[in-house]
Amino acid sequence: MRFKVAFVLLLMILSTTISTANPGGKGDAVRSRDCAGSCHASSSSNGISDAELDIQYPDQVYAGLLMEIQTSVSFAEVSSNNMAGLTLLVNTDGAKDLPAIDGWEVVTDPNGGTNNYVEVVDSFSSESMVMQSWTLRAPSNPGNYELYLAIQHGTPEGGIAMTGISAPKQVTVSEVPENLPRLSADWEPVNTRGLGEETVITLETENTDSATVEIKIGGEISTVPIVDDKFTIPAAVNPGVVEWRVILEGEGPTQTSPWFRITAQEAGWEIDEFALYMQGFALFLFSLGIVVLQRPSNGNSKESKYDNTQEVASQFGQIQSQPTQAIETNSRGPPLPVGGLPAGWTMEQWEYYGHEYVNENGGGVQ
Amino acid sequence: MISAGTFHVITTELTIGMFALSGVAFLLCALQKGPESRESVAHWALLGGLISTPFAIISGVNAVQGDGIDNPILANKLLLSMISAGLAVGILLRRMWGSEVDIRHSSVGMISVALMLTTAGMGGEYSRGETLLLFIPKDTVMLFPIWASIALLVIGIAIVGKSTIQHRS
Repeated sequence: MRFKVAFVLLLMILSTTISTANPGGKGDAVRSRDCAGSCHASSSSNGISDAELDIQYPDQVYAGLLMEIQTSVSFAEVSSNNMAGLTLLVNTDGAKDLPAIDGWEVVTDPNGGTNNYVEVVDSFSSESMVMQSWTLRAPSNPGNYELYLAIQHGTPEGGIAMTGISAPKQVTVSEVPENLPRLSADWEPVNTRGLGEETVITLETENTDSATVEIKIGGEISTVPIVDDKFTIPAAVNPGVVEWRVILEGEGPTQTSPWFRITAQEAGWEIDEFALYMQGFALFLFSLGIVVLQRPSNGNSKESKYDNTQEVASQFGQIQSQPTQAIETNSRGPPLPVGGLPAGWTMEQWEYYGHEYVNENGGGVQ
Repeated sequence: MISAGTFHVITTELTIGMFALSGVAFLLCALQKGPESRESVAHWALLGGLISTPFAIISGVNAVQGDGIDNPILANKLLLSMISAGLAVGILLRRMWGSEVDIRHSSVGMISVALMLTTAGMGGEYSRGETLLLFIPKDTVMLFPIWASIALLVIGIAIVGKSTIQHRS
């Protein structure tokens, strides 16, 4: 028996696979580099990624305005799921390194969200370069800033988590010219929409005399008319990304916005939560009822070395079967009648009032 | 400050550890092997697991991204954990009422433990995308109509009430 148990345990141990932390990813989120790494593995057990990381800025970056940057990942050998986690940071400290610390705002990340950490599934390999677009709002104060691109990924062989970070990529944020045609500072693009629904976007501009909207669908660029500062993006039949940008003209230099991306996605999975909770509670009570339906059975219990019930019971039986004399010696009252206690009497009553009974019934025990 | 995710790890491991211990003890009870304390261990560990389960659920709800139950895995986790908790409470009640720990009692205990461990395994798939439970259809949720749930609820209440009255008598 012991050998069988040991064999099963050994088989279970040998059947486990050595795996790095979070091989399926942790999900896009706003994370500093420390937390974007492997929370379930020691950071000391991470390897250093061979990937080359780069960030490309537009020619001109204005304070507080939207801009598009391109991040590139080259020579990254990732695990079989072709996933890598990319993080946009402002320093290499591992804490207080979020872009927001320096005033950056992630308006649209490569996955259509607003996170600085995204998990990308693409054709990462030692021979390819993967580009991703991020739409950011530059810090509102002009000056020189740095951004870093960090990466986490597995390896083709598994077993270790790889991490890496780029060199600092500097960018100069300039003051906005007074007459620069631009989108309003508080305007935010739409990032996602459902399938089968048109998207109406309202533009809010400053110092702009005319605007032209271009839409890129499947590599083809077309112009969309603007009516009352609004334009419509056609409904998407399948999940995918539509890009659009606006060209703003006014007294100042003509400005072209970054390509904004709208990701069309299927409606999220939904369920009637009331019905679910009701069913959960019903199943709880029903399964509870099924178990207690069978009344406890005590008839055929197995012997236990701690169970002294039979011994106690036999001793009790012996005491009961002892002659009356034995009881008489321990009793404070008169000797019990041959038939035992009279009907309706207790032993305590007999001890105190037994002699009266004996006197009334002829002075002797019957 | 400890995040809900970290707290969830603590509470789930406490819960799963207790249930796993209980499961092993119930297995020994079913086999009639091992120390005499196996029955006590099985039931006390099950009680400990039950007590820590609400903390795991609450921290899990706080740790999950998004609003509400937006994934079939979460829905199945809820249903499985409720069945497991129901069986576990039933087992403890039976024990409290003096039931013998026979093969049937032990088997129900093991089923309760297995369901709770399956729930935990599904949580691993939800958060990390990995699981050993490859053959369980976790993307399918069997949701009853409201009337069926109400009927089940009434039946459950009736059975529990009847059993309680019988026990008291």
